[in-house]
Amino acid sequence: MTTMNRLIPLVQREWLQHRFGWALLVLVPLGLGVLLGSVGHIDLGDEPPRGAMLPLAITAISLLACTAAMFVILWGASLIFASGLARRDHGDRSIEFWLSLPVGHVASIAVPLVVHLIVVPAAALVIGLAAGVLMSALLVTRLVDFGAWLAVPWGDVVPALLAVLGRLVAGIPLATLWLLPLVLLLVLLNAWFKRWGLVVMVAGTVVLVILERTTGIGLASVVADFANHAATSFIGASRTELKASGAEEALAVLRQVPRWAGNDLLAALRDLASPLLAGGLLASAGLFALLIEWRRRGASAAN
Amino acid sequence: MDANLLVEARSLGVRYGAKRALDDVSFTIPKGRVVGLLGHNGAGKTTLLKALVGLVKPAQGELAVLGMNPLRDRVDLLEQACYIPDVAILPRWARVADLIGLMSGLHPRFSAARARELLRRTSVDPADKVKSLSKGMVVQAHLALVAAIDARLMILDEPTLGLDVLSRKAFYEMLIDEWCDGERSVLVSTHQVEEIEALLSDVLMLNEGKLVLSISLEDMDRRFVALSHDASVAEQVAAAHPLLRYRTGPGTAGNAALFDGAPAEQVMRLGQRVRPSLVDLFVALTRRPELDRTQF
Repeated sequence: MTTMNRLIPLVQREWLQHRFGWALLVLVPLGLGVLLGSVGHIDLGDEPPRGAMLPLAITAISLLACTAAMFVILWGASLIFASGLARRDHGDRSIEFWLSLPVGHVASIAVPLVVHLIVVPAAALVIGLAAGVLMSALLVTRLVDFGAWLAVPWGDVVPALLAVLGRLVAGIPLATLWLLPLVLLLVLLNAWFKRWGLVVMVAGTVVLVILERTTGIGLASVVADFANHAATSFIGASRTELKASGAEEALAVLRQVPRWAGNDLLAALRDLASPLLAGGLLASAGLFALLIEWRRRGASAAN
Repeated sequence: MDANLLVEARSLGVRYGAKRALDDVSFTIPKGRVVGLLGHNGAGKTTLLKALVGLVKPAQGELAVLGMNPLRDRVDLLEQACYIPDVAILPRWARVADLIGLMSGLHPRFSAARARELLRRTSVDPADKVKSLSKGMVVQAHLALVAAIDARLMILDEPTLGLDVLSRKAFYEMLIDEWCDGERSVLVSTHQVEEIEALLSDVLMLNEGKLVLSISLEDMDRRFVALSHDASVAEQVAAAHPLLRYRTGPGTAGNAALFDGAPAEQVMRLGQRVRPSLVDLFVALTRRPELDRTQF
């Protein structure tokens, strides 16, 4: 049995443990969206796009809104799951069962982190996009007709969609690298202080802000820098915008999206060559080692 | 390390802060043995078993299990040694079938077919959710999962806690008849000494972190002498300084004394030699030797 074969069941364990929670997080917002899209009031504003622009605009907004909503919901939930990772098997005392299996401490912590911080958010993007397609069909059909939805220039939209999806999916591990020290710090604080971990982290952040304002020691700014880099690594690292004001321009912009996405990803990759990230990864390695030690010591606690 | 030895501990010591959980413990377990680990609560049994599977770091001494250092080679060791901790609790969110599937992937020597076969002998269905099972059923499921591992060494910490007498008997019968094959060994800690005494080949006794006895049952019978005697000769027997004096039944004839080695011939003539029970020996070696239990 190879190490990789041993890791797959650990991923499977996450699926078995969280599948119903994830299904609820996907299906409830999607159901609400479909319900509101079917019977809710839709305000197109004072100057709604006209002609071919309206279905295109509705499609673009639906895709954007659904993808963003699904990502925020599942990524947020995953962050909550991940932050309690170290202690999750202590609640039902099944930690003793897991420790009796031939699985290393590193894999036991790293695999769930990868699942919750990378795999689930990536899946959220794909699901959100698929939900966006469904919602766009529903809304365009309701506001115009189904033929108008079919007439959306999919030959231009699909490559742009796939390019943005690819950029976002590639951005998740990059953003995770930037966020890793903060996430691991929260996991460790939750391991040490149980449910008070978040409170300790928030209190620590407040102290850092006060310190920065009173003494000028810019630790809070460093934390903010990590968050900013994480956001731009996810999307917008090139800091260039694509704008369109008419139907023709919109189509031209759509055709530019794949190139823009590629450039944005390259800019995000260039951002990785940073002493700040190197420091962050070093801190992450230290925090991860402390987590492993905590798990190892937890295993040896006297009964 | 002798290839015949599955476990070898030399001067093993474990500390929890200032407290010595294990102190200078040395013993070996060869192939094909069923070893009982006895001790009062807090004697260090769980600590010893955890040390054997690399979940506790020894402060001193040497420990080799299946030729490996348990702490350094924990993952490799657990592929060949299965372990049931004293808190036999399975994850509440899982179905039993989920755990069979997970263990198939996580444990190279686990047989899903064997686990299902063992589960059929219990009242647990693979489709059952762990959180819907009674404590005894969870233990049954856990035992079935662990017994389906083709390991060389099975380490069980109070494995049948919470099981009724029939389930306990069924488990131990399965363990001896089907799991033990003359090559594999079992180390089991339990408080239900009488129930498993007949199954054991060896016994380890811990008292306050110290190993007070490591002996085979054959040697135990040879070395320790129990003398059943009448109450009228109790004073003479007591004068021979037995390890323990205890009652074996009602009336004046129901008295016995336990000696480490045969007492003098004139003392032996005061009563009749009987086989010492493991429980009496355990009591004798883990309580104050001068204690007189005949008044209880």
